[in-house]
Amino acid sequence: MKKRVTWDFLMARYPAFFPLILLVLSIAINLFLQPNMLDRETLNSNMRVFLPLILLAVGQAIVLLGGGIDISVGGVVSIVNTILATRVGLDGSPEKMWQFVLISLLAGALAGAINGFFIAYLRLQPIITTYATSFLYAGLALFILPNPGGGIPADISNLYRTSTPLGLPLAFYVIAILLLIWVYVSSTRYGKYLFAVGGKAEAAYETAVPVTLVQFGIYVISGFMAALAGIAITMLSGSGNAEIGGQMTLNSITAVVIGGNAFSGGIGGVAGPIMGAVTLSLIQNIISFARINTWWETLVKATIIVVALAAPGVINLIRRRRA
Amino acid sequence: MAKSLSVRNIIKRYGGVVALSDGNLDVRTKEVVALIGANGSGKSTMSKVINGVVVLDGGQLLLDDKPVHISSPQSAKNMGIATVFQELSLIPQMTVAENIWLTREPMTAFGTVNRKAIKDKTEQLLSLFRGTYKTDLHPDDPVASLPPDEKQIIEILKAINLDPWMVILDEATASLDGRQVQRLFELIGDWKEAGKAVVFVSHRMEEIFRIADKYSVLRNGKTVGAGKMKDINEKELVKLMIEKESVFTFTRGETKANEKPIYLEIKDLRTDTLHGVSFRVREGELVGIGGLRGQGQRDLLLSLFGDVPYSGTVKIFGNESKFKHPREAMKKGVALVPGDRAREGLLYIRSILENLQLPSWAQYGFPLRIGKAKKDAEQAGASLNLKMAGLGEPVSSLSGGNAQKVVLGKWLMRKPRLLLLDDPTKGVDVGTKAEFYALLTQLCNEGKTILFYSSTDEELVGLCDRVLVVHDGIIRTELSGASLTKENLIAASLGTSKGGAL
Repeated sequence: MKKRVTWDFLMARYPAFFPLILLVLSIAINLFLQPNMLDRETLNSNMRVFLPLILLAVGQAIVLLGGGIDISVGGVVSIVNTILATRVGLDGSPEKMWQFVLISLLAGALAGAINGFFIAYLRLQPIITTYATSFLYAGLALFILPNPGGGIPADISNLYRTSTPLGLPLAFYVIAILLLIWVYVSSTRYGKYLFAVGGKAEAAYETAVPVTLVQFGIYVISGFMAALAGIAITMLSGSGNAEIGGQMTLNSITAVVIGGNAFSGGIGGVAGPIMGAVTLSLIQNIISFARINTWWETLVKATIIVVALAAPGVINLIRRRRA
Repeated sequence: MAKSLSVRNIIKRYGGVVALSDGNLDVRTKEVVALIGANGSGKSTMSKVINGVVVLDGGQLLLDDKPVHISSPQSAKNMGIATVFQELSLIPQMTVAENIWLTREPMTAFGTVNRKAIKDKTEQLLSLFRGTYKTDLHPDDPVASLPPDEKQIIEILKAINLDPWMVILDEATASLDGRQVQRLFELIGDWKEAGKAVVFVSHRMEEIFRIADKYSVLRNGKTVGAGKMKDINEKELVKLMIEKESVFTFTRGETKANEKPIYLEIKDLRTDTLHGVSFRVREGELVGIGGLRGQGQRDLLLSLFGDVPYSGTVKIFGNESKFKHPREAMKKGVALVPGDRAREGLLYIRSILENLQLPSWAQYGFPLRIGKAKKDAEQAGASLNLKMAGLGEPVSSLSGGNAQKVVLGKWLMRKPRLLLLDDPTKGVDVGTKAEFYALLTQLCNEGKTILFYSSTDEELVGLCDRVLVVHDGIIRTELSGASLTKENLIAASLGTSKGGAL
């Protein structure tokens, strides 16, 4: 039987196909509303705002691929932000900054390990566990920094905000590194384990895949990526706010789902979620450029997201009807 | 080097249910041991204990006469024991090659999986069953897209790829067709030559006598007999399994269906897999549908149930009906007993009562008259001889045969006029099968019409008035009366009557 390139084939084989269409579409609309969008300065100022969500979406993508979900990532972002803003301070030395960056990454991995312990070893439901720990982490951030304030040195902040090696935004290099790591990891044995556990955990266990370890690992990775996102957003804003991560959790999940990963696990990758995160951020841009009444912003944004999420389903429904 | 594994007096409990109370088994190299028992007798539990999927509560495992502890699938694998599971251990989203090599992937110098190597080696493994595939099977195909028999073959190849000294085949032939079983048996012969041991778990007597050297019979979690195949016959073996004799024969009395009116008339039915099927069925007839697996039999039943879009005409009592949804078919008194009871037939974690009443709740009004529903379910359970602790128990507590009775029962409670059966006796023990046959005969005598697809040729020959043999989407042959023999059925299944166009 000859293989034809059909819609079904594309959707099944290349889960990032649909997110690519959405990305191109949103870039086109954005370009129409903001013709200088691809200029070096504008591009950089956009990408540095998108990067924290991109990092968070990559971590979330790994968790969803492995058959879990992590609702506590926003809390981790807040913890990292408050640690950096209170411990480094506006007049801190660069050495102190890097020292606390390292501590932040460890804190993120630890927060993920706590989730992983509950879920993989105590066999608790991922959604309930991370929902509970999300309050734990958000509460901890508020404990560290009850009122917005503090910050990191402006030099370091500027390093993040203005670095454009070879004229390209820093974020592009980060994305390239993330994709390279993913291409490597997904072709190692650990990558296969990830898909196996997310696809059908019982079958993976019967095949002697270390299921518990893989499940534990995805939350550590997610916590680590959330810490990276927290560092990025702190460098972007330069100041501390314990509620900075609160909104990011749902955005990260939305980005992954727009990115074509299956909510049930085992299908997808990282490229799609990165595109999903960019698309989601562009939608935000489009709304502000379109001069929509601020009171309507949430409604309009949510409507666009719902339509984007529903589109593949609607297309499939129409195809079924026609068959 | 001769190796051996002995299972001594093992006990396994799941909660309050004792799955094994005194399990014994002896296997050594160059032997095929048939592990036999009715459903729920503990065969699957025994294989799971040996494979380390479940940990035993008592008793001993001896590897080469030394006690061993098999605590996980990993440790079983390290001891050279591989299992072909009944509930498939394949990851549907992953490809054939990835599944076969999972946890044992050959690596490159960079620590990545060597995709070329696994592809080449998978091609070699696939060639073991070359010629029996119905699709263009390729190492890069996702497992989810394969038909059940090919999934089962991948499962077999995955186990044998471990190069174990002992292979447990847990109902591995249940979804294979005749040629695939033949090929598997040739391979088992080779493995035996090469010094492997095979534990063969099956319900099919004929296969057991063809392939096994020794037998071991389980009944209610106890090993009740073991010995050499050549010292025992089919009747004695069945007797060991079920304590009482007399179940294995089934014949249907002469019917007077010829005088009955035409109930169902189908003309030029076409779907993705059916290419123009026409036939008529009289009221009260039991018509078999035969042929190799996956020739379109399932589509035929599903389209009559409104679950698959089709072209062509379907007349019920002369009235043309085109069901677009199972709901419409149900209203007209059509019922479908699906083949995959775990996926399509039952809500395993819900109670027997809920499962039995699921299609019928509407007739109990609002608010539901629970008392009456319970009484009706009670009655249905009794008439099916359902062995259960109570209506409130979850279906998952039942053995395979009893669970299948619930699937049938839930449709019989709607008092259907046309029953579509999709391989209902798959994985059901002989005792329950016998009850099943009696029930089908009785239903026909009550005037119900039955279309009965089965992968077991004996059933079709022994039970049906006529058998329509489907091959490659069309009805190749119709067998009835004197022409309805096993030989003719197999010949027609293979498509030989028209020059073997396989």
